[in-house]
Amino acid sequence: MSTYYQIFGGKINVVTSDPSDPIEGQTWYNTTSEVLKYRAATAAGAWAAGGNMGTARYILAGAGTQTAGLAFGGYTTADSALTEEYDGTSWTSGGNLATARNGLAGCGIQTAGLAFGGGDPSYSNATEEYNGTSWTSGGNLGTARQYPAGAGTQTAGLGLGGEAATGNTAATEEYDGTSWTSGGSLATARNALAGAGTQTAGLGFGGLTATAVANTEEYDGTSWTAGGNLGTARHTLAGAGTQTSALAFGGGPPNSAATEAYNGTSWTADTSMSTARRRLAGANAGPSSSTAAFGGKTTVNVANTEEFTGAGAGVTKTVTGS
Amino acid sequence: MAKNYQYCVAECWGSGFITLEDAIKIRISGFPGNVWQVPAHNPDANLWIMKVAGSFKTVQEAQAIVTAEVEAAQAAWDALPEDQKNRPGNNSRPTDIVLPE
Repeated sequence: MSTYYQIFGGKINVVTSDPSDPIEGQTWYNTTSEVLKYRAATAAGAWAAGGNMGTARYILAGAGTQTAGLAFGGYTTADSALTEEYDGTSWTSGGNLATARNGLAGCGIQTAGLAFGGGDPSYSNATEEYNGTSWTSGGNLGTARQYPAGAGTQTAGLGLGGEAATGNTAATEEYDGTSWTSGGSLATARNALAGAGTQTAGLGFGGLTATAVANTEEYDGTSWTAGGNLGTARHTLAGAGTQTSALAFGGGPPNSAATEAYNGTSWTADTSMSTARRRLAGANAGPSSSTAAFGGKTTVNVANTEEFTGAGAGVTKTVTGS
Repeated sequence: MAKNYQYCVAECWGSGFITLEDAIKIRISGFPGNVWQVPAHNPDANLWIMKVAGSFKTVQEAQAIVTAEVEAAQAAWDALPEDQKNRPGNNSRPTDIVLPE
């Protein structure tokens, strides 16, 4: 029988505690736990539990990244103005929105976030800008709407779809940090859709017309073209990533834990979240390989956060006899 | 019939409740009422239930908890004004959930 030394030309390190930052393929024997361990790359994405939000709520908006996330607005038993900031472990309170509302959209990062639209009882055109501490008013949307999607940044934002006073809207608006201007219209007017990407390379997917839809549309800064359909038609979902590497998760009906990854052409199923829910929000400024889902509703409002890590992440495994 | 799943009740405390390593080793699914489903006959699943101080439930016990939660949500939905039932996210009655063995 060949030995490890004969095959790999080196000996297994014997340590009392696991190395803090092992590389893929590294192997060691831990004398404290008396187990052989190695570092491997994950073959598929995985959702882990993150810190619970301070306030369970749904129809909220999100921005930022997995380690610097932002949650704001939504509905508890009434419209909420609450903002919470995530550091990758726990949520802390931020400055309140000036206008409590639900069904709003968000984009940007934790220290430069953007909130727009929403409503209940009336459709809102309000835009607010977050600086990491407090919200200040920005330019109003041209079309007041609830349940739009957002993408991009505080100074190059994208607002798409939603429900306006006249019904579902296909209208797209672009924000420059001061005011909104009209962009190309979606082919399919809808609300409760999700967005990802940037103002010049955006993505809109899912949503509600008369029923849940699977449509994906890609924006080039001027007009929308059809992309590949989601495998699962759904609305009130969340998204993250870019136009060529996006993630869709949650939504309904019924409440879904489904996660799908987009490669610029088509969606493929990825590992589902642990908790099926809709009307959730996501850290939509992060890459598709590292995002977070938070809030939403199962049968009740939830505060759960789940953190997605895409395939290829390093994970320490223990060698077992079985 | 061999069981494919086992159930427990545990409150998700946040970070560390399901670690990345947990999620890679086993499929952990949450249901209403803090009911969690993990694979049966799986040492990693047993360790996870111990870690989260989960209270083991038979599938019948878990089903009863989930059903009570769903029925409460259905009653709340039924009581909504008709215009609210048409709002996005509200436009379908919470559906029954059947836990597999």
